[in-house]
Amino acid sequence: MSSDFYKTSILPFAGIIIKLCRAYTNSQEDFEDYYQEVCLQIWRSKDNFREESQWSTWVYRISLNVCLTLLKKKKNNVQHFVSDSVTTEETEDNFAFSDESLNVLYDAIRELSEIDRAVIMLYLEEKSQKEIAEIIGTNPNNIGVRVKRIKTRLKKILDGKIN
Amino acid sequence: MEKSIENIWKEGFLKSDALVAPKINNLYNQKSIHIIDKFKRMFKINLIAIVAFSFAFLIVSFLIGIPITGIIFFATLSVLVFINKQLLNDLEKIDLGISSYQYLKAFSQWINKQISINKKVSRFLYPIIFISMILGFWFKDAEGMPLGEKLVGEILVGFPDVYLIFGVPLIGIVIVLLILALLAFFGGRIYTWDLNIVYGRLFKKLEEMMTDIESLRN
Repeated sequence: MSSDFYKTSILPFAGIIIKLCRAYTNSQEDFEDYYQEVCLQIWRSKDNFREESQWSTWVYRISLNVCLTLLKKKKNNVQHFVSDSVTTEETEDNFAFSDESLNVLYDAIRELSEIDRAVIMLYLEEKSQKEIAEIIGTNPNNIGVRVKRIKTRLKKILDGKIN
Repeated sequence: MEKSIENIWKEGFLKSDALVAPKINNLYNQKSIHIIDKFKRMFKINLIAIVAFSFAFLIVSFLIGIPITGIIFFATLSVLVFINKQLLNDLEKIDLGISSYQYLKAFSQWINKQISINKKVSRFLYPIIFISMILGFWFKDAEGMPLGEKLVGEILVGFPDVYLIFGVPLIGIVIVLLILALLAFFGGRIYTWDLNIVYGRLFKKLEEMMTDIESLRN
């Protein structure tokens, strides 16, 4: 991967890649692995980009797919069943943000199902329903309802954590 | 005051430490290890497949009455597997701790050595396989006598003037020698063609990565 490609085509979107990777990992080490793998896959897939969507949408899609794939691999490696909705692993202390509210929110997001995590983060990134649907590969009409449900669930989790 | 999740998100990421991208300098190490591991896996599978095939063919050759072919085939492929197993041991010795560029260079050198040795082996391998087929069928039992002798007998009935050397028609010997010479001459090329079918994509990736790292180094 040339450093130019990284600077011009990946770094401007590093924010969302970091946010996504953090939602699917519990440690700094895993996070760095996920981030590197996402960058690698974006670089590898660059020739398949057909400009049918925006580059940012393409980047989000690859990031999400890589995170989900790595998560699946990790689950298979530890060889125990983890339900779709709950991650039982604790996050490491050195993996925390300096903003405590953000840490609590991230912990809550990690308790959502894998797809719900992606939906809520794209929503929080102010992506339109159409864009979210395009990235996830679902019907845009369902996104609004899904976001509402996820927000309700998140609030419940957050209330539980705060109390 | 209770903040909405949208506000927690926005305000949380305003702080400078929240979005620090990790360094990606380890990326090439991961990629090169991944490619080379893939090659090692394919190479091992290939060797196992050759061993399995030579065993299976040995058994089949006895069942269909061409044991000479089976035995020569088995012996030749065993030598081939032995040589390549030695080469694989050399590959395992490449130090993973060196930089990815050096690692890829070392791997590339190993590939070139491996290709060069196997090309030389192929100049003998294909002719030996061909001659083993000829011998197998020549000595195959055909109603109490070798199939080759029976065929020669039938040829002599139609063409009594055919010139024989040790009971074999000269024209047959010439054709077999010609094919052997062609196989020996093109053995290296057949091997390269075979190699590209199996590992072509992997070699291309390796080449691309080498070029890429070299462009970064310059």
